[in-house]
Amino acid sequence: MEVSARPRVHHVRSLTESAYVLRFDRRDMVFEPGQYVSVGIRGDINMREYSIYSGTEEEDYLEILVKEVDQGRVSRQLKRLNPGDEIEVGGPFGFFMIDPEVRRNGHVIFVATGTGISPFHCFAMAYPKLDYRLLHGVRTLDERYDYDAFDPTRVTTCVSREPALAGQFAPTSVPGEAAARAGMTTTVSVQGRVTDFLRANPVDPDTRCYLCGNCDMIYESFDILKGHGVPPEQLFAEVYF
Amino acid sequence: VKYCLVPFGCQMNISDSERIRSILESLGYDRTEVEEEADILGIVACSVRQKAIDKVYTRIHKWNAWKAERPVTTFVSGCVLPADREKFVDRFDLIFTINELPQLPEMLRHHGLVTPASLRAAQSAMVGAPIGIATGTEDGTRAENGGDGLTPLPQIDPQKDYWKIKPHYSSKFEAYIPIQNGCDKFCTFCAVPYTRGREVSRPSEEILAEVHRLVETGYRSLTLLGQNVNSYGLDRNGNEVSFPELLRRIGEIGREFGRRGDGGPQFWVYFTSPHPRDMTDEVIDVIAEYECLAKQIHLPIQSGDDKLLLRMKRNHGVDKYRKTVQKIRSTIPDATLFTDIIVGFTGETVEQFENTRAAMREFRYNMAYIAMYSPRPGAASARWEDDIPHEEKRRRLHELSQELQEMSLIQNQQLVGTEQVVLVEGDDRKGGFLSGKTEGRLIVRFLSSDESLIGTFVTIRIDSAAPLSMEGTLVGVDRTAEQPRPVGINR
Repeated sequence: MEVSARPRVHHVRSLTESAYVLRFDRRDMVFEPGQYVSVGIRGDINMREYSIYSGTEEEDYLEILVKEVDQGRVSRQLKRLNPGDEIEVGGPFGFFMIDPEVRRNGHVIFVATGTGISPFHCFAMAYPKLDYRLLHGVRTLDERYDYDAFDPTRVTTCVSREPALAGQFAPTSVPGEAAARAGMTTTVSVQGRVTDFLRANPVDPDTRCYLCGNCDMIYESFDILKGHGVPPEQLFAEVYF
Repeated sequence: VKYCLVPFGCQMNISDSERIRSILESLGYDRTEVEEEADILGIVACSVRQKAIDKVYTRIHKWNAWKAERPVTTFVSGCVLPADREKFVDRFDLIFTINELPQLPEMLRHHGLVTPASLRAAQSAMVGAPIGIATGTEDGTRAENGGDGLTPLPQIDPQKDYWKIKPHYSSKFEAYIPIQNGCDKFCTFCAVPYTRGREVSRPSEEILAEVHRLVETGYRSLTLLGQNVNSYGLDRNGNEVSFPELLRRIGEIGREFGRRGDGGPQFWVYFTSPHPRDMTDEVIDVIAEYECLAKQIHLPIQSGDDKLLLRMKRNHGVDKYRKTVQKIRSTIPDATLFTDIIVGFTGETVEQFENTRAAMREFRYNMAYIAMYSPRPGAASARWEDDIPHEEKRRRLHELSQELQEMSLIQNQQLVGTEQVVLVEGDDRKGGFLSGKTEGRLIVRFLSSDESLIGTFVTIRIDSAAPLSMEGTLVGVDRTAEQPRPVGINR
């Protein structure tokens, strides 16, 4: 299953000052949406794991969503790559996947912070008929990476530090003028954190919940969802660092 | 010309050392335990804890100081993190991953070493003998290849060919058999995916052949090794048997020997370490089905708290683990259960620790390897603050150790008065006693100074129990015949 041939970079697409999408050769890699790959600069011994961002239908390429880290040994170098550069890619790995039966008949909730939206982007691309609800926690509206790729009626963005939304109280589930000004006309935006929203909006205990992002959010969400009666075996998490 | 090899760490490193020994000895080097005597000095490094890596730096500093007085060649292999590898480049003469072991003779030659065997080979070549790169023999001697262990080098597949090197087994009755190398699980506390790379399964034909050969030559205890043994075969995309099927085929080897009419030889096959996520009911059913598959299961839990398991990225919760233990208890009631636990993992609250303590009580382990968390540079968790004070980690370690001792004592006491088959391993620390292990790997000592018993099965009547060990009386010696199944464990 491991792919060791060196793929070439197609391009680096900037999303914000620090976040970008790296597209590179797929090289026949067979993966399940939700899995991740390890990626590094050619010849460099440092590799990092990134969830696959693109869907399964894109036969020629894979994409990963990367947030540049200060002093990072990989994320900064990847950003500087040029089309045609070779990179090291291993994988796919991981078990953050949706059961086929759930994909067909179930309702799932995705909870993400920041670049933790990456596997959910992949799910949305790969499973267009999936019945999901996405809660995406961001600090500012520009961190809603590629939000137009999602069905806007299924997305709630929880914004914690957006000055334009200041003054609203969490959780205020309205689109909001500020959100509209930011070009977000249909996706619901709320002031506050995803955990604030989850606490105020209990989910059906039969729901399968997928959490991806920083560990603090995952811990807090785990407790909240358990408190709502969701059994631990229906909670799936991918911790980011 | 002598070599000295210093292995650190786990059974996998011991197993790798056996293969390195085989290469070096087939090149004509003699082994010495005394570093000062050696011309080649090697380390099989372990990156599980910083302390183990610190020992490597201490060693190489000392060895390099010797270079001012005499020529020595140094090498390092084993589990080495990328960051350490960069630093080792300037310190060691040779660095190689274990996958690159078949190329060690060539590396030594490039380094300018004329090996004793190559000298002999050159002499032999003058009379028409083939020259090749040395490989060892199954027992580490060079006799099978006409004295110098030289065989033509096959096309090297760096992922798998090191397994073809026949190891110089450290014991005459116990052997480690690597079945898989590397790890794809990326647990946050562990650096193995970064030191050993991705999971690669050894071809099953090689494993089965090694099992067969070892049993035939009198080995009594075989341990299948891998970082995640029960994900064996998954990397081969349908082109290799699954782990339960591998066990089944090994079980059939046991039956084949059992059918030979003399009842023996008996042997026990263990495996370590499995990952709870991949521990299927089928694996447990197969263990129950075959006599030679030891009724001892090592199932690392690491933590008894669901959230901490998420943080550790173990990809299973306590409930999944519980179901596996229930399946083991119902299918193999006499199986012993071992585990690994980390205390003081970054962010572990008192409540989370108490959940681990509760899990220990619930699962009634016979043995637990409990470690205080220490960040491993390169592992993901090293990026988190190591926020549990050392003293608190020690307290948690002590408390779980107490729990373990109490549970172990209770379970060992249940065996008092029973007769247990024991594989004798050697002299006990208690003078005049030998010690060994039951099929469930419980330690038993008994009064005897008959060293010819070492490496054989004996029957011991258990007279007394202590935490983590038992004492008994020798009631039977049976070196070949089929042994009765130990009874009473965990009932």
